Amino acid sequence: MRLRRLTLLLLTTLALTACSEPLPQVHKARLFTLGTLVDVSVLDRDEATAQKATNIVETELALINTQWHAWRDSPLTKINQQLAQRKKVAIDTSTYRFIKQAQTLATMSNQLFNPAIGSLVGLWGFHSDDTPVGPPPAEAAIEALVKEAPSMANITLTPTTISSSNPAVQLDFGAFGKGYAIDRAIEKLKLAGVENAIVNAGGDLRAIGSKGEHPWRIGIRHPTEAGVIASIETRGDESLFTSGNYERFFDFDGKRYHHIIDPRSGYPATGTLSVTVIHHSAATADAAATALFIAGTQQWQQIARQMGIDEVMLIDRDLTIYMTPQMAARIHIEIDDANIRIVGGQT
Amino acid sequence: MTRADYCVVLFAALLLPYLYITQWTGNESGITASIMSGSSTTQLSLAHDHTVEVAGTLGTSVIKIEGGKIRFVTAPCLGKQCIHSGWLQHAGEFAACLPNRISIAVLGETPRFDSINF
Amino acid sequence: MSEHANNSADSTTIKTTPDDHLVAWLAALAITIHIIESVLPSPLPGVKPGLANVITIAVFILYGWRTAVWVSMLRVLVGSILIGTFLSPTFMLSFSGAIASLAVLWLASHLPGAGLGPIGLCLVAAMAHMFGQFYTAYLLFIPHDGLFKLLPLLMTAAVIFGIISGIIVRSMLHHLGKRHGQEK
Repeated sequence: MRLRRLTLLLLTTLALTACSEPLPQVHKARLFTLGTLVDVSVLDRDEATAQKATNIVETELALINTQWHAWRDSPLTKINQQLAQRKKVAIDTSTYRFIKQAQTLATMSNQLFNPAIGSLVGLWGFHSDDTPVGPPPAEAAIEALVKEAPSMANITLTPTTISSSNPAVQLDFGAFGKGYAIDRAIEKLKLAGVENAIVNAGGDLRAIGSKGEHPWRIGIRHPTEAGVIASIETRGDESLFTSGNYERFFDFDGKRYHHIIDPRSGYPATGTLSVTVIHHSAATADAAATALFIAGTQQWQQIARQMGIDEVMLIDRDLTIYMTPQMAARIHIEIDDANIRIVGGQT
Repeated sequence: MTRADYCVVLFAALLLPYLYITQWTGNESGITASIMSGSSTTQLSLAHDHTVEVAGTLGTSVIKIEGGKIRFVTAPCLGKQCIHSGWLQHAGEFAACLPNRISIAVLGETPRFDSINF
Repeated sequence: MSEHANNSADSTTIKTTPDDHLVAWLAALAITIHIIESVLPSPLPGVKPGLANVITIAVFILYGWRTAVWVSMLRVLVGSILIGTFLSPTFMLSFSGAIASLAVLWLASHLPGAGLGPIGLCLVAAMAHMFGQFYTAYLLFIPHDGLFKLLPLLMTAAVIFGIISGIIVRSMLHHLGKRHGQEK
C-alpha cells in the first residue's frame, strides 16, 4: 500500500509538471506609425516578450518615418529643398544606404519605380495625411512635370554626398520606405531573439518563422470586393507586398484617381487593380509591387525578371489573375470562377 | 432522495437553461469589437446596439454598432474612406480613419488568416 | 475483458490486506469501464457516459472519501497507461475531471444533516468532472472563447449521465444491502 502511494504521488507530480508550461500563443498589437496602421503578431509564451517586440517595431518604424517623411518637415524635405537649388548635400552612412538601395531598385525597374517624382505625387494631393478630394490637377501642370523627367538616374550618390543634375528631382520614398522600415524592424526582432512574428504595416508585411506547428497564413485582399481573393502560407522569412488602386484614392466625376502615379504619363497607372509580390526583402518587394503595377499586363514579366522577383500575382481591370508559375504553385485562390493565367516560366 | 438531492437536481435544472441562454443567445457568436484611438483600445460587445463617439486627433468620429455589426458613420477627415468601408461583422475585418487615428476591428472568433495583405 | 481486469488487480496487490484487495478490485472494475468507454464512439469530444463514475460514487458511499480518491486516481493513471494516453491531453482532461469531482465529493462529505444520496452525489460529481475537464481544455489546449458554445451541450450530457449513473448506484447499493442483510 505504501509503495503504491509513493508511486502515485510521483506520477501525480510528474503529470502536474508536464502541464505547467503554457503553450506559446500569438500576441497581437496594433499601433499607428508610418502614417498607417501597423499590426505586430508575435508567437511567444509570455506577453512581456511580445510587448518588447512591439516596442522594438514601433521604435524602428517611427525612426524611418521621421527620417524620410515626404511632406512634414524632415531630413528628407531638407535634402529636397537643396536638390531643387542644384546644391550638393552632405549625408550620413544610413542615408546613403537607404538612397543607394532605392536607386538600384529604380534602375532594375526601368525607372517605373521612381522615387524622384515627389512633385507629381504632391501635385495629385497625396502629400497629405488625409485623402485628397479632387478635382485632379490641371493637365498642363502634369505635362510640365512629366516633361522634366526627374528620375533616380539624375542622382549622383557618394557615401557622403548626394546631388542631382535635374532640379525637378524631389525624392518621395512612399513606395520603398515602408518596406525598408519593415526590414529594419525584422532584423532588430531577430537580434532580440524573436523567431516567429509578422510585421504588417498598412497591409504589407514580412513574416518570419511560423505559428508553431502551422505556417503563418496570410489572406490577400480582393481588389474590388470585401474579403479575400487568395491566401499564402509563408515559408521561413518572406515579405508579401501588394500595391492596389483601392489603397489611397479619390473619386471625382465618377472616375477613380489612385496614388500609384505612372512617371511616364503623370497620371495614376491604369489597367491594373493590384499586384502582389513575394520576396525575401520587404524593401525590394515594396518597390517591385509598385513597379509591376505600373508595368501592367504587357511589361510586368520583363520588369519582374529584371528585379529578381519570381513570385508575382497581377490582377487586371477585368479581374483576370496573372501569375508566375512559382506563385501559382503555392497560392490558394479563395474565390469561385477565377479567371487565371499562368504566364512566363522561361526564366 | 434526500432534501439535498432535490437541491442538487434543482440546481442542475436551473444551470442548464442559464448556460444555454448565456452561451447561445443574445450575441449570436459572442463577437466583440475593438475601437482604438491613438494608443488606447476599448473593447465592446456587438450584442447590443450602441452609438459611440470617439475623440481622435482631428475631431470626433462616430461609430455605430447595430445588429451585430459595426461601422463608422461620421468622421472629421476629408476622404471619408473609413465610412466607405461600411459595415464590418466578420472576425478580422477592420476599418480605420488614419487622419483621425481611429480604427475599429471585429474580434471574437479566430480569424481564418493570421494577417491580411492589401 | 474480465481477465484483463483481474490481471490489473493482481499487479496492484503485492502485500495484501483486505483493504488493498477491495481498492484494487474496485479500481480494476473502474479501469475496465474507463477503457471500454474510451473506445466507444462519441458524438462530441468530451461526451462520454462516465460510468466509471458509478464505481467512484459507490466506493465513496460505502468506504468513504479517502478510498474513493485511491480508486479514482488509480483508474485515471492506470487506465491511461493501458490505453497509452498517459500524460497526453486526453489524460490531462480525465485527470483534472477526476480531481474536480473528488473535490466536490469532499465538500459533500462535510454536508450537515442527511447529506446527499446516490443521485445527488453522482450528479454533482458528473457536473464537477465536466467543469474540471472543460476548464483544463480551455486553459491548456484550446484557449478560445468559441469553446464556451459547447459548454451547454457538454453540461446537459453530464447532467443526464450523472442522473443515470446515480440510478445505477442506487440500485447497486440496494442489491448489496439485500445481500448483506441475507449474509447477516
